[in-house]
Amino acid sequence: MVTVDLSELPVREANDLIRKAGADGEDVEVLNPDARHHIGVGLAHPITVRIRGSAGYFCAGLTDGPRFEVESNVGWGLADNMYQGSVVVGGNASAIPAVAIRGAEVVVKGNMGSRAGQVMKEGTLLCGKNANFMAGYMMYGGRIVILGDSGERVGEDMTGGEIFVGGKIQSLGAAAMQTDMESAEDNELRALLDRYEIPFAGTFSKIVNEGGNLRYANPEPRRRAIPFFTFSGKSSYWNEKVQEDIYVKSKIGRYRIRGYGGARALPHLNDIAFKKDLSTAGSETDAVSKVNLHTEVGGRHGAKPLRLSMPVMISPMSFGALSKSTKLAMAKAAAMAGISENTGEGGMMDEQREAADQLIFQMLSGRLGWNVHDMQRADGLEIYISQGAKPGFGGQLMAAKVTEEIARIRGIPHGIDLRSPSRHPDILGADDLVIKIEEMREATGYRIPIAVKLGAGRVRDDIKIAVKDGFDFIELDGMQGSTGAAGNEVLDYCGIPTIAAIQEAEEALADIGRRQDVDIVLMGGIKDGIDTVKALALGADAIGMGTSAIIAAGCIACMQCHVGSCVVGIATQDPEHEKRYNVDIEARNAARFLESVRWQIAALTHALGYDDIRQLNREDLVALTSEAAAITKLPYAPEYRSGEHQIQETVGIQRSGSQLQ
Amino acid sequence: MCGIAGVLFKNPGLNAKLGETLIEMLDGCQHRGPDSTGFALYGGDSDTSEFVLRFHVGTGDEGSENVDRVVRALKEFEAQIIDGEHVGSTYRVTVCYEGDVQKFAYAMEHAAKLFSIGSTLDIVKDIGGAHDVDEVYDVHSVDGSHGLGHVRLATESDVKPEAAHPFWATGFSDVAIVHNGQITNYWKMRRLLEQRDYEFHTDNDSELIAVYLADKLKHGDTLKQALETSIDDLDGTFSFLVSTKDEMGYAKDRLAAKPMVLYENHDLIAIASEEVSLNRLFPGQALDTTEPPPGTCATWSR
Repeated sequence: MVTVDLSELPVREANDLIRKAGADGEDVEVLNPDARHHIGVGLAHPITVRIRGSAGYFCAGLTDGPRFEVESNVGWGLADNMYQGSVVVGGNASAIPAVAIRGAEVVVKGNMGSRAGQVMKEGTLLCGKNANFMAGYMMYGGRIVILGDSGERVGEDMTGGEIFVGGKIQSLGAAAMQTDMESAEDNELRALLDRYEIPFAGTFSKIVNEGGNLRYANPEPRRRAIPFFTFSGKSSYWNEKVQEDIYVKSKIGRYRIRGYGGARALPHLNDIAFKKDLSTAGSETDAVSKVNLHTEVGGRHGAKPLRLSMPVMISPMSFGALSKSTKLAMAKAAAMAGISENTGEGGMMDEQREAADQLIFQMLSGRLGWNVHDMQRADGLEIYISQGAKPGFGGQLMAAKVTEEIARIRGIPHGIDLRSPSRHPDILGADDLVIKIEEMREATGYRIPIAVKLGAGRVRDDIKIAVKDGFDFIELDGMQGSTGAAGNEVLDYCGIPTIAAIQEAEEALADIGRRQDVDIVLMGGIKDGIDTVKALALGADAIGMGTSAIIAAGCIACMQCHVGSCVVGIATQDPEHEKRYNVDIEARNAARFLESVRWQIAALTHALGYDDIRQLNREDLVALTSEAAAITKLPYAPEYRSGEHQIQETVGIQRSGSQLQ
Repeated sequence: MCGIAGVLFKNPGLNAKLGETLIEMLDGCQHRGPDSTGFALYGGDSDTSEFVLRFHVGTGDEGSENVDRVVRALKEFEAQIIDGEHVGSTYRVTVCYEGDVQKFAYAMEHAAKLFSIGSTLDIVKDIGGAHDVDEVYDVHSVDGSHGLGHVRLATESDVKPEAAHPFWATGFSDVAIVHNGQITNYWKMRRLLEQRDYEFHTDNDSELIAVYLADKLKHGDTLKQALETSIDDLDGTFSFLVSTKDEMGYAKDRLAAKPMVLYENHDLIAIASEEVSLNRLFPGQALDTTEPPPGTCATWSR
């Protein structure tokens, strides 16, 4: 047995020893824990860890296999995301014990804090005394057993799973109801209690989802898609799209859901032009070899950075919103282009991991598909706070796309209209976020850069928090970003345009003198190399492409991503539709597009007189509209409109020198 | 965006350890807020006409000029200066004053930013960690019956001593607050209080809570009653600690979005954002702590 004394060792070193003991198959005893955070985080071996005292936040978090015994109390997030294994706590647990567990058995002999078992998927949470309010909040599966009283709103917004209460139920949450219990279930509970030698003579009440809110009540009528440009805001007020919208709402009586990006005209990168005459920019065919495009992201605090052959990433898009074939095409295209791919919400696939050279693993509020093993094999980790297309809202995946496979990976019931939570269970402020980031670093040995994805909203404040909390890079997503599904009005009217987002971010970082401490990856409607160069000149260190990448890989922009029957096999989980998608051909198409982006970035940078993209700066730009000038504080110079037109022609028509054709 | 701590000694034998205790508790949760650290310290015997005022004046020549201005303002208000010291970026001055404290406080705010007025309260706060602040202000040698502490992660405003916590209830002597969370009906509540002629000298929601509670106390509520109504009146996420000359209390919002852990033994009552702060006082011991339920409050008297 290995003994670790926390009065002598910092937790980081102690965890290294605990993980090593795990690999050696030796049990561990932890002395003088004194409520320190992150004890045992990242342990993925079936050893026993005995903690002689109280543990702090995220005790036994991000683990798979071990048995933990804590003599006294634990802080927030006990057994966070634990897969197999068990934790037994002799005292009380603070808020969100057993958050997002995927099979573990978690026993708290004393009281539990609020939101116990939030977004848990599978496994057992047993509480010997009373539970505070909202136990089982947004749980997807598994069981919670409370021998004492349950606080207010038990089972609030639960999707699946069962809650058994031995004492008084103060009140039921929305979507929860009491139901009859079978004797077999009762026997099973008694056997569980016997195993932990917890006496209980009372009877149980059983709480489950009441079944009413797992699907949208009135499906939207299927209609022929109206083309994107028809409702770009430039046609008449009561246009075809507006009429259709009113008509559909008259049938369903609620907001509509659709995929794709906002359709409203907004100030964007095409309202910005280059100051210099670039009419000869297309003449240098070998620009790529004359400009340093290599970009490293996320290495500023000692993690291994992403090494990108150009300042471009594939934006996060989920397996779920997109078909597996499309995700594979993205992974392959990214690898061919020497840039990174991103899992988006909903987990990592083996094939995707294999195909992508560099893969960012995204963690969302519902912790769907999140696990320690995939964290450890990722090249970057990303905490999704929100996205530009729908800042402040949770994700949506309509039932047509929640197949058995997707439900299994995400740990949710099959066939529901999935609405992901809009908030993380354990990130309720910048202070909690610090502790969360540390947990992720502990689980991955401080090797992997950690990013935050922010939908542009209160950018100025958010950016300051992100840099102060020590993120390695920030993915800042403007309002022109797209999504697989969101409320129609949300897409068009919520958020901050991409150029405003980068401007506010740069000002915020200048305010606190911390520009050098973080990399900013700008996303949201960036369509080509020209946009990329403008984004870099405005301050971004790199950019992300989502919609443009999938258009290159076969998307026809019909805006019906949410329906699940995408005719080209991209935004669908229907195997018949997916058959239409040829992964290798589309991967090459996307890669070829990325080469055109590369050439454009190089040609423009070269024509601006630079040999490195890091030399691009605001002095290179002017604003073509008064709105863009007001937002970016660039000089307003409408006379450059014709010049802008010229660049599109000269750089736009130049074929890339791709070797992939 | 921060960590909070509070301690009240039941055993006066521990009073000599007030500063030291709060430093330990705050150092234990400094990860929640590395930018600035502050203390609200209650010590000494209260004499109704003698007050300690602590102003933010800055350092160097600018600091000396500000001290001069404060001294002039005090004299204009016929406050008799007993003792004054320019320490760190603050000017701590003891005065004899017998008039209306609220008017006095508002007038002094025009001379320099006032951190606190108290017959027993003294607020010490500055940028840096608990030990950094202690080094400048000698917090560890402060003797007292109870006190609050705060570590701050600056997000919406700058890293500067004036923006550090704790806040006092502007205009009321001896009321201090530390708060973790965000009051979302800030402007609505502030307008309501401004209509009663209260002045606000920051845009910080913690100042609002302090003034809100002090107003209730002024109108005859007990601290417990004031805290009870605050849970209904204040909207948002909050875990806060408040102290007066003789009492310390907490209130927690109905969503329990912000942490708080409580430990009590025969010697003391200690509350902190995290148990790790409490354990700093009792290394190597498993403590029988409790977590106050959502939507609750409590008070303790010394």
